[in-house]
Amino acid sequence: MTFLQHIRNERAQQRKKKPLKRDVFNQICSLVREYDLKENFLSVLDNVEVDLSGDNLKFTRVRLKTSMENSLFSLATKDEYSLTMSIIGKVDNAYLKFANSPAEILLCGPLYCLNPSLTNQKLMRYHFETLFLHEYAKANREI
Amino acid sequence: MWQLLNSDMEFLVESDFIYLPLLLDPEIEKEVQALLRPGRPTENPGHPVSKTIITHQDKHFVKALSIHSVLENYEVINAYDYKRRRKEFLRKYQLTREVEGILLDDTLKTILFQVMPYFIRKNRGLQRNKLTDEEILDLVGATIDIPAKYYKEAKTFRNVEHLKALLKGLENQKPIFKPPVNGLLSAHQLRDWFHEAVHAKILAHEHDRLTKALQIRLQFRQAKPEHAATLLYIADTGSMEIDGFGFTRKIAYKGEYYVYKRIGEYVLKDYSARGYLFPDCRVAVSTYTPYRPFVMEKYKHPFLLRHKSGQEICMKHFVPPNEFTAENAIRILEEGLTALRYGYDARRRNGYHTLERTWVYIPTIDFEDYRI
Repeated sequence: MTFLQHIRNERAQQRKKKPLKRDVFNQICSLVREYDLKENFLSVLDNVEVDLSGDNLKFTRVRLKTSMENSLFSLATKDEYSLTMSIIGKVDNAYLKFANSPAEILLCGPLYCLNPSLTNQKLMRYHFETLFLHEYAKANREI
Repeated sequence: MWQLLNSDMEFLVESDFIYLPLLLDPEIEKEVQALLRPGRPTENPGHPVSKTIITHQDKHFVKALSIHSVLENYEVINAYDYKRRRKEFLRKYQLTREVEGILLDDTLKTILFQVMPYFIRKNRGLQRNKLTDEEILDLVGATIDIPAKYYKEAKTFRNVEHLKALLKGLENQKPIFKPPVNGLLSAHQLRDWFHEAVHAKILAHEHDRLTKALQIRLQFRQAKPEHAATLLYIADTGSMEIDGFGFTRKIAYKGEYYVYKRIGEYVLKDYSARGYLFPDCRVAVSTYTPYRPFVMEKYKHPFLLRHKSGQEICMKHFVPPNEFTAENAIRILEEGLTALRYGYDARRRNGYHTLERTWVYIPTIDFEDYRI
């Protein structure tokens, strides 16, 4: 490849439309602002596994994924920013950017523990609770 | 800006700049960390220190607006609010009439004292001498029937004592402009300060205007009351016509006029020497660009493209001037009048249309109804 071709290719690449990638900060910050989450959400997040164990699981319940319109980028105040970063730091898994509600943030960790290889399509389409119940039932059946 | 001032946010004021609370995302945080790193070189060496980001009470604030700049350009930034505040202010001090501003207008002076004498009959008989400004005003006063109320107004206009008292009152009221103190300010505090600053600006502006108005009125005191009445009438109505010459103030543009001259009835002849009687119209030039002659009325002529009002006259070698002066205005009107009256050549059939019907082109404008 000549130098001229190289420059042309590079410029063609620059001109190419780049799809907007799903950004975990943007997603969680939007949720924090939309649901007006406060610091106490972090303590709820700490106790999430306790809540899910035992009778809290109702197998008959199937929830729909909440639709959500994200802004292209989020700017947060200092409090919102620190809460967002704390949530990201605590959960820290690949499913978090697909959470569309605070309930899904809570289920993110347990779902990831059950099956860390769910596809993006599934995560985008189904509510985490539904996925969790499905994975939980699958795991029980295997046992 | 107003959304910010009407919010419940806190602003930081530092060295005549408004700092807004900094909003964060991971990229911005990285930049902030880099900016606030100790031992970092200054942003603009050689320039006075003005920080982009300030940390106050553990919160970051980012430099946003220059207070002086916003205040200086407020008339443009929020024209509606400025006008409203100014109107309120003027109503408060009964200063709503702005005749002085119009009298100060150079365009009107040029039209009245330099363009008009060229087109009107000034002297009777064979006398030919140049008229002074006072004589022109006498002539206007003698030709136009000026309503009595303007004579009354002229008397009050010449009485400057009231204006002097008003000016003194304004001077006493004049607040001293103080920039806001450095530190945290709530939105409503900043808003209140801003309103006071705008008020002070309007006051200063009006003070200047009144000082000028006072000067004009002092000049008027020496003039005859009839002259003052004539000028007030012209300033108020913004239009006048003498001997077919006149001017009228534009509605859309403040301080701009159409200067016109009536052409009168005239006859043009076609290829077969048949006469066509053209009706009267006003050939005008605007004091605002483009400086080209046009016909004010709905009119048709070989040199006008359509049959409608406000059409520019087609003139091949006419180069419009770049500025409005008395000489240019006279030349443009003369050229326009000459073109309409003498420009059409029956042999060459120049212009957009021909007077007689030709079968070469599809006729769009017909002059048969003007045939004598």
